[in-house]
Amino acid sequence: MKKFVSLLLALMMALCAVGALADVAADIEAGQALSHDELVEKAKAESGTFVVYGNTSRISTAAEEFAALYDITVESNNLKDQEIYTKLRSENGNSAADMVMIQDGAQLTDAIDEGLVLNFVPAAVADVLDEADQQPALVHQYINKLFIYNNLGDNVPAIKNVWELTAPEMKGNVIFKNPESEKVNMNFLVMCTKDEWADKLAAAYEEWKGEAIDLGEYKNAGYKWVAEFLANVTFGKSDTSIAEEVSQETASGKIGLFVLSKLRSSSVLTDNLTVAQYDASAEGYEVKPFAGFMYPMYTMINTQATRPYTGMLFIEYLMTQEGFQPWGKSIGAYSPNAAITVNEGDLTIDVWKDTLVMEDAEYILDSFEVEDFILQHCQN
Amino acid sequence: MDQAQTRNFQASRLKGRLQAWFSKPANIILLVFLISLAVLTLYPLLSMLTETVTIHTGREARAAKLTAGSLSLYHFERLFATAENDYSWIQFYQPFLNTLIVSVAASVIAILFGGVVAFLVTRTNLKYKKFVSAVFTFPYIMPSWTLALFWETFFKNVNIGLKTSNGIMASVFGVFMPEWFVYGAFPIALVLGLHYAPFAYILIGGILRNMDANLEEAATILKTSRARIIWKITLPIVKPAMLSTFLLVFASSMSAYSVPVFLGSPVRYYVLSTKMKSLMDSYPGQAYIIVGVMILFGVAILLLNQKVTNSRKQFTTVTGKSGQISKISLGKANRPLAIILVIILLLVAVVPLITFALESVIIKAGDYSLSNMTLDFWIGTNLSERLDQGDSTGILLNPKVWNALVYSLGLAVTCALIAGTCGILVGYGVAKRRGSKLASWVNSLSFFPYLMPSLAFGAIYLAMSSRIPWLRGFLLLGLVGSVKYLPFASRSGVNAMLQLSGEIEEAAVITGVPWWKRMIRVIFPIQKSSFLSGYLLPMVSCMRELSLFVLLVPTSNTILTTMLMQYSEKGWAQFGNAINLLIIIVVLLINFIVNKLTGASIDKGVGG
Repeated sequence: MKKFVSLLLALMMALCAVGALADVAADIEAGQALSHDELVEKAKAESGTFVVYGNTSRISTAAEEFAALYDITVESNNLKDQEIYTKLRSENGNSAADMVMIQDGAQLTDAIDEGLVLNFVPAAVADVLDEADQQPALVHQYINKLFIYNNLGDNVPAIKNVWELTAPEMKGNVIFKNPESEKVNMNFLVMCTKDEWADKLAAAYEEWKGEAIDLGEYKNAGYKWVAEFLANVTFGKSDTSIAEEVSQETASGKIGLFVLSKLRSSSVLTDNLTVAQYDASAEGYEVKPFAGFMYPMYTMINTQATRPYTGMLFIEYLMTQEGFQPWGKSIGAYSPNAAITVNEGDLTIDVWKDTLVMEDAEYILDSFEVEDFILQHCQN
Repeated sequence: MDQAQTRNFQASRLKGRLQAWFSKPANIILLVFLISLAVLTLYPLLSMLTETVTIHTGREARAAKLTAGSLSLYHFERLFATAENDYSWIQFYQPFLNTLIVSVAASVIAILFGGVVAFLVTRTNLKYKKFVSAVFTFPYIMPSWTLALFWETFFKNVNIGLKTSNGIMASVFGVFMPEWFVYGAFPIALVLGLHYAPFAYILIGGILRNMDANLEEAATILKTSRARIIWKITLPIVKPAMLSTFLLVFASSMSAYSVPVFLGSPVRYYVLSTKMKSLMDSYPGQAYIIVGVMILFGVAILLLNQKVTNSRKQFTTVTGKSGQISKISLGKANRPLAIILVIILLLVAVVPLITFALESVIIKAGDYSLSNMTLDFWIGTNLSERLDQGDSTGILLNPKVWNALVYSLGLAVTCALIAGTCGILVGYGVAKRRGSKLASWVNSLSFFPYLMPSLAFGAIYLAMSSRIPWLRGFLLLGLVGSVKYLPFASRSGVNAMLQLSGEIEEAAVITGVPWWKRMIRVIFPIQKSSFLSGYLLPMVSCMRELSLFVLLVPTSNTILTTMLMQYSEKGWAQFGNAINLLIIIVVLLINFIVNKLTGASIDKGVGG
């Protein structure tokens, strides 16, 4: 039996593709120096179907328009972030993607270290974007998840301080997606325990209670808030269903923390919802110390790409006003390119950066023990 | 006799023995299957075991403070013996207990419900048998999470769960069900039990229908009471089928993922499979340990099962002698019993379909007025302008959907043909050589894929395929599906063959009829219904399979179920419900067509 297994293994090794993979890194370096027309020419010279994985549904619209514009065959796939990382690790050429659009900066940092993906910054935006939006990975857009509440009835949870969410009477009235099922949610909770945010939470507590925070067994105010927040939370299935549920006539008193762009959905009763930060901006106060969180969606080239130039051309396209349109046409998506303005009625990215918790990949990657703590409080 | 002669003699004796051994088709079949199954199941198992001691890149290496790729028992220590933050209790022990409770309860529900209905349909003069028999398999045809979803939408109310909206039960009937009824262990076990009850119905019913009436008749002549006949004769005969059902349902429930997610998450009720999925993302080593634990449990039940079927006890139920089964008259209880059964079946099988149809035409959730309804999600165009949700055309006008449908069908037919045929051959080999080591190995190996949770099975094959360049796309999906569903076919194959008395084939053997002819002309026709269920079960399972294929499909638009999941996750409920209905309708159509052409169908495995 053992002999048989080893024979089999040897056979498999022999079958392994030895076809040399094109050096994508060199291609990207070359691509960086090309003009738009040269890039188009190189992309068109690549054969076969160009494949994209993205964890945003609108990638399909962008891909269709890109395909029509340059007469290139494109196949776009909308997958969950985790599935994309799994596929990147396991697939080997052939059916794998040439390019990905992906969230979760912490995992992306790992993926870059592992050599799974490479960064490409189109020359057109290199001078326009902040350095942080270009390296180590190009940010295509920022997405925000906000405190949004049902505005019906006489117990409207119009919060001005996130500690209000920890009050006993809020138990079962706060709805959030399980941090285990989408990492950006976990990242947000982890970030609350970072000194910077923990200090702000401590100050906000004092403002709310009128007395200094008593940490008890908690390491800092961030841990305390996370624990007490999770104790009051009910987990919803998806951001869409949370938006739908909180918007119901029967859901007075409920508040959710979900993606702002879900308000566009025709299945959500948008009139019944109020965005906490919109109210705050209109009336000139702040939601202490944050009104939700925000995370980037990145574009990257697969190290195993067989059509890297098409990947670069698509990234170049996505960074233009036209390429951003599928997301930019409604609220809740923000280009790092200041030239691409936000929708009427929405707030600018600068306001959001001031009022929302942002990811710090380094801190998140070093904080697996914080995740254990969060898991514990997701259970009880 | 000198030495050379002795050697020659021994050699020729060995040759003769080998020739004799290989002249029996059963031996050749078993040997071929032993080798190929070892490759297709043991290799994934071995690679999975290595994963449990390997440190993976990323979060895992950082948390373990070890270099990626190194070998360590870190995962075991962490999963089983970490007291800090109650880690082990939360990640393993509590979900483990929950899994046991849910899986055992689901198995009992499936056996009781499926078994009783099978008995009523095959052995009594119950009314509306045709309807009962036809509808009973619906819950199995539907992806299991759809029943869970239905349960939630039907019973949810503002006092429980998200506490945001009322389902039909509360808004229409004013009945507010308590939380334990809608979320947690009870509904999870019930939904899984109902979903898998057709296993019991098919396996137990198949035996009840074909069993030799002589034993019961003898007992009747001896004036034995009905109850005693059932207890002493009927039950022992169906015992192997009951054990098979228990094994199937237990292993399926254990690895079921979507049902516990839908009905458990709102009350924070977690099971091993949900933990495995979330661990797979960041700590794959620990996730694979959980897979290992699930497999161990499955193997334990498998061994128990084997002890029963492999013992030399005879379970022959179909003999050369004819026998007319006497049907029990239910008398006055007939109509009320039939009506209760029909109502239950309508609730679990037909009402969900109506709900899906309804949910696929409404625009805003929860509003069932006519002004909120549209057929756009089926046949609309330019939807991205008007609804800003999902695709720009309704599913019936969307070429993506049609391509996926064709692909799904092709895949299901391929897997069914391969698995079904292999299942019959395995059944023949195992039954003929019953009691031999070879037979019991092949029997176990052919069942083994069932014990691997689909998601993990898919993940392992994905890793395997990355090393074999030609193993891609349809070929990969077809191979995985055939191996994964072989257990259904081999179970029904073995069960059917074990019922066959040797004398049936013997007459043909004596007159020198070749083996393949005996199979086609004698054995297949007798046990046609069991064998066909061996083809139909893989086919149906494949049509609605998700977790097995989710990592392996080239794109999420490749097959209908991955497309459906993508839509559900995006919250495009209407498209999702429409596709779900499409899947169910297609499978029902296939069942209907097969029924018209061959006279067999999933439920015909039982009769009615």
